[in-house]
Amino acid sequence: MVQPSGAVLVAAENGPELPSIRDFLPDPILFQGTPFAINRIIFVRLLAMVIILLVLGITASRAKLIPSRWQGAVEWVLDFVRDSVVYQVMGELRGRRYVPMITTIFLTVLVFNLCGVIPGMNIAATATITMPLVFALWTLAQYLVTGIREQGLWPYLKQELFPAGVPWPLYIILTPIQFLELLVIKPVSLTIRLFANMVAGHLLVAVSLAFAQYYIIVVSNKWLALAGVSWFGLGFALTAFEMFVAALQAYIFAILSTVYINQSFPEED
Amino acid sequence: MEPLAANGGIKLFIPETYDIVWSLIILVILGCFFYKFFLPKFQSIFDERSAKIEGGIKKAKEAQESADQAKKKYEDQLSQARVDASKIRDDARSEASRIISDARTRAEGEAAQITATAQRSIESQQQQAMVSLKGDVGSLAAALAGKILGAKLEDEDTQSKVLDQLIDDMAEKTHEG
Repeated sequence: MVQPSGAVLVAAENGPELPSIRDFLPDPILFQGTPFAINRIIFVRLLAMVIILLVLGITASRAKLIPSRWQGAVEWVLDFVRDSVVYQVMGELRGRRYVPMITTIFLTVLVFNLCGVIPGMNIAATATITMPLVFALWTLAQYLVTGIREQGLWPYLKQELFPAGVPWPLYIILTPIQFLELLVIKPVSLTIRLFANMVAGHLLVAVSLAFAQYYIIVVSNKWLALAGVSWFGLGFALTAFEMFVAALQAYIFAILSTVYINQSFPEED
Repeated sequence: MEPLAANGGIKLFIPETYDIVWSLIILVILGCFFYKFFLPKFQSIFDERSAKIEGGIKKAKEAQESADQAKKKYEDQLSQARVDASKIRDDARSEASRIISDARTRAEGEAAQITATAQRSIESQQQQAMVSLKGDVGSLAAALAGKILGAKLEDEDTQSKVLDQLIDDMAEKTHEG
């Protein structure tokens, strides 16, 4: 057996601390074994919740008729969600009722996603399947309730499961698909889109920074350090990209929720 | 890196009970916060702001309207005043022409009267002059005639003396002249 040289030995023994799916399944650190167990991600999520409550709570309690810069920025976001997401999709008349829900989803998902690039947190609060799923189930409940309220149960199901203008034999395949789409595909696609984006983002950034750390600090070789610098640059760029993705996914989640709710209204002929 | 499947990658997609619990708790807290406090607060700010703006616009409109009314009133008054002024001017002009024509008539009358008086006075003076002239001429003629006749009546000598004296007088006057 060939004895490996020193540098390679170090590499083999320590290796870069690459991220794994364990990052998304951390062990509980508090209340282990109870339904109130808290792991790292839930801790980050609680922290994010406290930040939202504090920052937006103070903003709202100090809100004035003539806004300060910060209040103006918050109002800009609220206007954006109301006008560019809700009203643009479903119009003011229908949309008014759903503005609070979509605003809650947008702001919460945005802040939770951004936790992934906040130093110390380093993981999105939406990076377990459960949180996106809960948001998606809220959307599901909302569009079912809306459909039943606006049309009644049977007309709503008829519109969803037996779309008008289709030859009746096609219903044999179409209706199960529509049924699946209504109850499973819509919420699951919302969930997985957000969750997978957060997982992938975390893995990309963590891999880049792990390699950067390994090549610059652990391996004492200036040529490999150069590679480490490139990895660091990549990690830097991917972190910026993650911020963009955080906002983008919050926007996509909000606008798709709005679209799904809007589909529950009777179709205009 | 551990292979995902080997480590039970499927676990990623299975919600943990405590995760569900905490996600729900957090969502409910945030939902209450947004629904009960944050959004109503901002909604009231937005409403108040738009009410202020609408009130301001309404107030400006009212001010504009009252200004328009005042302007119209002043313009009406102004045009009324113009009409009045032109009426007054016309009146004054006709009054003036009436006064002038009156004055002219009166002046003409007076002038005629003065002329007539003057005429009469001239005539009477002429009359007087004529009367007095007649008187003078008569006495003069009588005197002269008396002188001539008187001398002739006395004698021839006297007659010639008178004649001589007349000639002398005339010569003297000529010399003196």
